[in-house]
Amino acid sequence: MKLNPLTIKKIRRFQSIRRGFYSFILFTILILLSLSAELLINSRALVVRYEGRTYFPTYGRILPGTTFGLDYDYETNYRDLKARFDAEDAGNWVLMPPVPFNPYENDLREGAFPPFPPSAASRHFLGTDIVGRDILARLAYGFRIAIFFSLGLLLINYTIGVSIGCAMGYFGGRFDLFFQRIIEIWSNVPFLYVIIIISSIVVPNFFILILIMAFFGWIGMTWTMRTVTYKEREREYVLAARALGASNLRIIFRHIIPNTVAIIVTFAPFSVSGGIVALTSLDYLGFGLPAPTPSWGELLQQGWTYMDAWWIAASVITAMVVTLITVTFIGEAVREAFDPKLHTVYE
Amino acid sequence: MTTTLRMLAAALALFGACAAFAPGPLAAVPVLPQDIEWQTNDTDPVFASPDARRGGTFRSAIMTFPLTFRTVGPDSNSSFRSAILGNQLSLIGLHPNTLNITPELATHWAFDPDKKTMYFRLNPRARWSDGVPVTADDFAFTLEFMRSKHIIAPWYNDYYTREIDRVIVYDDQTLAVVSTKAVPDLHLKLGIAPTPRHFYKALGEDFVRKYNWAVVPNTGPYQISDFRKGKYVMFKRKPDWWGNDLRFFRHRFNVDRVKFTVVRDFNILWEYFKKARIDTFAMNFPQYWHIRSKTPQIENGYIERIWFFNDTQQSAMGLWLNQDREIFQDRRLRYAFAHAMNVEKVIEQVLRGDYFRLENGFVGYGPYSNTEIRARRFDLGKVDEYMRAAGWARGPDGIWARGGKRFSVEVSYSIEEHTPRLVVLKEEAKKAGIELRLQRLDPSAAYKKVMEKKHDVAWMGWSTSLRPQYWEHFHSVNAHKPQTNNITNTDDPELDRLIDAYRNSLEADERIDLSRRIQARVHEIGPFVPTFMVPYVRQAYWRWWRLPTPPGTRVSGDLFSPFDSATGGLFWYDEARREETRQAMRERRPFPPVTRIDETYKMAFLK
Repeated sequence: MKLNPLTIKKIRRFQSIRRGFYSFILFTILILLSLSAELLINSRALVVRYEGRTYFPTYGRILPGTTFGLDYDYETNYRDLKARFDAEDAGNWVLMPPVPFNPYENDLREGAFPPFPPSAASRHFLGTDIVGRDILARLAYGFRIAIFFSLGLLLINYTIGVSIGCAMGYFGGRFDLFFQRIIEIWSNVPFLYVIIIISSIVVPNFFILILIMAFFGWIGMTWTMRTVTYKEREREYVLAARALGASNLRIIFRHIIPNTVAIIVTFAPFSVSGGIVALTSLDYLGFGLPAPTPSWGELLQQGWTYMDAWWIAASVITAMVVTLITVTFIGEAVREAFDPKLHTVYE
Repeated sequence: MTTTLRMLAAALALFGACAAFAPGPLAAVPVLPQDIEWQTNDTDPVFASPDARRGGTFRSAIMTFPLTFRTVGPDSNSSFRSAILGNQLSLIGLHPNTLNITPELATHWAFDPDKKTMYFRLNPRARWSDGVPVTADDFAFTLEFMRSKHIIAPWYNDYYTREIDRVIVYDDQTLAVVSTKAVPDLHLKLGIAPTPRHFYKALGEDFVRKYNWAVVPNTGPYQISDFRKGKYVMFKRKPDWWGNDLRFFRHRFNVDRVKFTVVRDFNILWEYFKKARIDTFAMNFPQYWHIRSKTPQIENGYIERIWFFNDTQQSAMGLWLNQDREIFQDRRLRYAFAHAMNVEKVIEQVLRGDYFRLENGFVGYGPYSNTEIRARRFDLGKVDEYMRAAGWARGPDGIWARGGKRFSVEVSYSIEEHTPRLVVLKEEAKKAGIELRLQRLDPSAAYKKVMEKKHDVAWMGWSTSLRPQYWEHFHSVNAHKPQTNNITNTDDPELDRLIDAYRNSLEADERIDLSRRIQARVHEIGPFVPTFMVPYVRQAYWRWWRLPTPPGTRVSGDLFSPFDSATGGLFWYDEARREETRQAMRERRPFPPVTRIDETYKMAFLK
């Protein structure tokens, strides 16, 4: 693929902004890691060698305890299996992931009550929450949900926002006036309350929640796109395209949007962090994804209620700060890379 | 003197007015039947301590300031209402330990053979807080009042019309209250409270606004003496309360003042308590009893704790299965579901062993409870047995399946604090091959969903009443339609027959027998998985507050309830101990920590 020299220049420039570039790498790694979370943080073993046969239980259907000569029909407890095989020393073995817990199971003990503090011996590296679930597991799986939530939200918001915004700017006149009023009314709806009301009536799943949030989220982008399009449509290349007989659709999507992509790209990282924060706050208030979905907001809520268990609040706050700072750094770097003026100072 | 005269004049005017409205000389003067047998109660044991002394101010807290001091009409049904009603005595009360009738405003009572009428003789010393004697007419006025459209209280309008037929006034001290129909336990219904006619006079359109903040005369030991909206309400003990020497009121209601301060946050309340700005603190939550109790004030014995077991009706808390759902139409699947709920694990590992397993929906109703029933325990073997018998097999994800249908049900609940319990149940149920999909709804949304019978499984509890109520929960009349309490859609002819018999019977023994059989039958049908009960109260209090021995009654829900006429006001203030404690705190000298556990009234099957 041959890239536009301007694009190459922008990428170079992005790479030269260290803070942003390394944040980008870190962020990408985090996403990749979270995508393979099942291999790193899971109660299912990676590999089980039992009586000459090898099993890979990570993905796919459950293997009941009877598969490995245990006396129960429900899913094998691989941690117990590992302890058992190690004790028997009969050539069978189990390879567990580094964190041998899934985000849903309650690791409860006799005579003690969760939350349990972090301990390398019990393999709860960040401790457990108030019902004995591993915090690291919940953070990792919660991150995956939050990040894909906000990417999905971004996609829908921008598709609607950019299309309507461009149309408003391009057509102008009554169309513009009409949509301006619609948006003014729309943006006066207290959207958090509406979401709370909706989610107290129907329990939203991942996609419904994205849709509900996108219902109100597309507005922000329209104003910017409208202004930019107003500017662009007066440029000569648009006139030229029109003179050549290009349709409105073609002019908007082939000519104007590519020329405004800098604006869109610059806003995107901030929308991602906005999405994460929105989901977290909804979960914190108890109106987000249904329990027991791993969620940062729920952990935050627990951390606030159980201040004595400092590791809950500490873990989730650290995770949030790191993620949001990373995304913000990427955002700043992108903005700078796309800035036609070379020397800009952000304050 | 002038006041007395004026009051007399007013009273005369009032009587005149009444006479004017009376239907004339033809109206028959009611005559008290001669063959009735007057009863009273001066033999049941007293439960207050003769050591109790008067004095002190008891400081308590309310989360929000009440919206009104009215006890009927719009916005009146707040928790503060009980503080006002606690000082509003009725004709008769119930002894908290023996459940026999005790005198309150009436000294004697009698039953008519028609099983609809009770006669009462008032205590001639009974006075309203403004000094006016309580007369039989005040009870007649209760009926007028409660039936009035002006009070905007449809429930009371309806109840006092459809349940209470009339009040017959024989003379100032003698009256009868008549029920519209013969009912068992008539005395629970007919012991109504008086309403001061001399205070309200005629009711008008402006009732709701006019009496929002009115301090209505009452008959109990305390009256509101002072309040600031949004801040506090102060109750003061009446200096020479007429009831001081009644057998069951002696040595009770000992503090001079009770102050309810508004504290809007539970965590702040705890801080107030530790600073002794509030005198007691409820410690039923495991979090407070086990963790937050580790504070110097408790460890040094300045604050004492008590764990008091009572024996009272337990809320039917648990999982209610909707039998209109295809999956729960098969009894074997209902049984399997019950055996898949690891309630014991939740109690031990989440609730710190503080809660007890509820065995049946009707525990704590005295002889009306069938104590032989045991809730189905977590048992994978039995789940297997029932599911296989019903022709189901475990699917690839370990969940039972048959014909493309999985054993996956939605559990609707509304209290966020219950999530930890449910996630453990969910994980354990997975082992048993049943998937629970947790659905937390806002309380009103959950209520609506359940009332419309759109739930699979409802996680909820019912409030209790003195006698078990079966008809609304289990009779087929209420099944398969919205807005009834039969949320399990139980529809069983045998059960219907028992419930009808129970409802129609007026004999206590027969009702007790039927009640137990109904519970056994419900257990057999299995639409309800009982979960937890809390048959105790736990409280912390500064050590200068003293309690009798035993510290409460069989049915006490709050050992430091200042007013309640049946169980309240047993505690007292000990000035000497307060000085001693203050001194010790100044000198940083600890006392041995005190945690009293009182099992006097612990339910027999828990011991």
